[in-house]
Amino acid sequence: MICKKAFSFIRRDLVLATSYKFEFFLRLFFIFFSILTFYFVAKLVGGVGMAHLEPYGGDYFSFVLIGIAFSGYLMTALRSFSESIRGEQMMGTLEAMLVTPTSASAIITLSSLWNFIFTSFRVLMYLLIGILLGVDMSNANIIGAMAILILTIICFGSIGIISASFIMTLKKGDPINMFFMGTSELFGGVLFPITVLPEWLQTISHILPITYSLSGMRHALLQGYSLHALAPEIIALLVFSVVLVPSSLLAFRYAVNKAKVDGSLVQY
Amino acid sequence: MRCTIETHELTKKFALQKGFTDFFLHPLAKDEITAVEEVNIKIEKGELFGILGPNGAGKTTLIKMLCTLISPTEGTAYVNGYDIAKDSGKVRESIGFITADERSFYWRLTGRQNLKFFASLHNFYSYDAEKRVDELLSLIGLENRADDRFLSYSAGMKQRMAIARGLLNDPAVVFMDEPTKALDPGAAQNLREFIRERIVKEQRKTVFLSTHHLGEAEQLCDRIVIIDQGKIKVIGTIGELKSDLHKPNPTLGDVFVHHTGKEFKEEMAEHPQSGRRRMVHGMHGGRMRGMRF
Repeated sequence: MICKKAFSFIRRDLVLATSYKFEFFLRLFFIFFSILTFYFVAKLVGGVGMAHLEPYGGDYFSFVLIGIAFSGYLMTALRSFSESIRGEQMMGTLEAMLVTPTSASAIITLSSLWNFIFTSFRVLMYLLIGILLGVDMSNANIIGAMAILILTIICFGSIGIISASFIMTLKKGDPINMFFMGTSELFGGVLFPITVLPEWLQTISHILPITYSLSGMRHALLQGYSLHALAPEIIALLVFSVVLVPSSLLAFRYAVNKAKVDGSLVQY
Repeated sequence: MRCTIETHELTKKFALQKGFTDFFLHPLAKDEITAVEEVNIKIEKGELFGILGPNGAGKTTLIKMLCTLISPTEGTAYVNGYDIAKDSGKVRESIGFITADERSFYWRLTGRQNLKFFASLHNFYSYDAEKRVDELLSLIGLENRADDRFLSYSAGMKQRMAIARGLLNDPAVVFMDEPTKALDPGAAQNLREFIRERIVKEQRKTVFLSTHHLGEAEQLCDRIVIIDQGKIKVIGTIGELKSDLHKPNPTLGDVFVHHTGKEFKEEMAEHPQSGRRRMVHGMHGGRMRGMRF
C-alpha cells in the first residue's frame, strides 16, 4: 500500500515538475556546466596535492566529481523535506492532506521522494559525463556503492526530517539546515580531501556523516573496495542511522503535536 | 447511543505571540486567548447542523479541532464514535472536509489528477480510485472538464471540486467551512440544494456547516448553534429559537442580535432565490442531475 501511495506522490510531482518545462530542462542543462568547470579546474590543478588524493586514486577530477554528485543528496535532504512543508503550506494544500488518514510524517516523507529521484538521476548524469571525460570506474564495486548510498540517504533523510521539524515549529530560521549547509562543503570532503585541513579541524569532519558517505563512495566507485574494506565507512554510517532515524521521528512527532497545540500547522 | 458528533466542555486557548520587548522582559509570562470555551454539542446522524457567528467567534477553530487539525486545550470530543485526541486517525477516516479555499488544490494538475491524488491519501488506488473519482465527477457534473487543468476552472467549478474531494472517502460526517463564500448567489443556491438533497437526504450524511449567511442557515439547517467569542449563545431549531423571542414575525437576524448583541452583516445570501433566478439563465444550461454552480 505504501508503494502505491509513494507512486501517487511521485506521479503528482512529476506532472508538476514537467508542467514547468523550461525550468525542468534548464536544470538538466546546467549539470554539464558544473561538471565542465571542475574538469578544467582539475586540469589546472594537475598533480598538485597528489599525496592527499592518493587514498582515492590520485585524480582530482574523479575525486571532485563524486564529491559534488553525492553531496547533492545532502542538499536535497536538507531542502526537500522543509521545502515540501513550506510549499504545501503556501499552496494551501497541506490542510487538505492532513485531514486524510495518511499521517503527517508519511505526507512529508513521500512529498520528498521526487526530489531524491531527480537527484539520483542527476548523480547518474554526473557519473556518465564523468566517464565520458575519462573517469575510470571499471573496477567499481556496485554492491558496496549501493550499500553506502542507501545508508547515505537514510542519514541525510533523517537530518532533513529534523530540519523540517524546525520549519514546522519556527517556520523560518532552521539551525540544522544552516549548520549542515555551512559546514559540509568545508569539512565534509566535497571539494578536497579532509587531510588538507589542520588536524584539529578534521575533528569536525569526523562528526559529519557526509565525510564517511563521500569517502566510502569514492573507495567503492573509483577503487573498487570490497565490502570488508568499506567496513569503517559502513559502520560509521550505520551508527549515524541508529541515532538519527529515531531522533528525527521523535522530533517530527513533537513538532506536529506542538503545531497542533499552537494551531500553526498550516501557517507559514 | 452515542451521537455522530459529541463535545464535552471543549475548549481551545491559544498562546499570544510576544513582541521582542515582552520576550526579553517577561520571558516566562504566558498570555492566552480563549478561542473556544466549554462547548457542549450533540449532533445526530443525518442531521444538518449549522454553526453561526461573527468573524473570530471560534467557528473555524471548532471545526479544525473536530477535524483533528488543532488539539483541544481541555475537554473531549467524539466524531463518529472516535475520540479526536486518542483516535485521530480513525476520525480522519470517517470525515470529509470542505472549505471555500480554492488554493487547496494543485492548480497545474487536472481536476481528475487532483482527485486521484487525494483519493490515494484516503487509501484508494488504481481501479478503486478511478471508479470513485468517475462517480464523483459525474455527481458534481464535471466529467467533461475533468482532464483540464484546475487553473482553468471557474470559482464554481473549483468549489465543486472541493465538494468531490470532501466526499472521496464516502465519509459519515462532512464538515463544511463556509462552502458558498466564493460563489455568486445562483451558484450558492444550487450548492445549497445539492447539500440538502444529495448529501443529507440521499446519502444520509451528517453535515456540520459553518456559515456567515443567515439565509443559508435558515434554508438548510435542522438545528443551529450561535457562537460568539468562543462561547455557545444558543442552540436549537430555527423555529425554537424564533419562538423564544416572543415577538411577531421574528427573523433569524433578530435571534442573532438578541443573543450576541451584534448586527449580522451579509449581502445577497438573505435572498438566495432571487439571486439564483438572475444568474442561472446566464450559465451553461442550468441545473442537471449533478450540480451546476
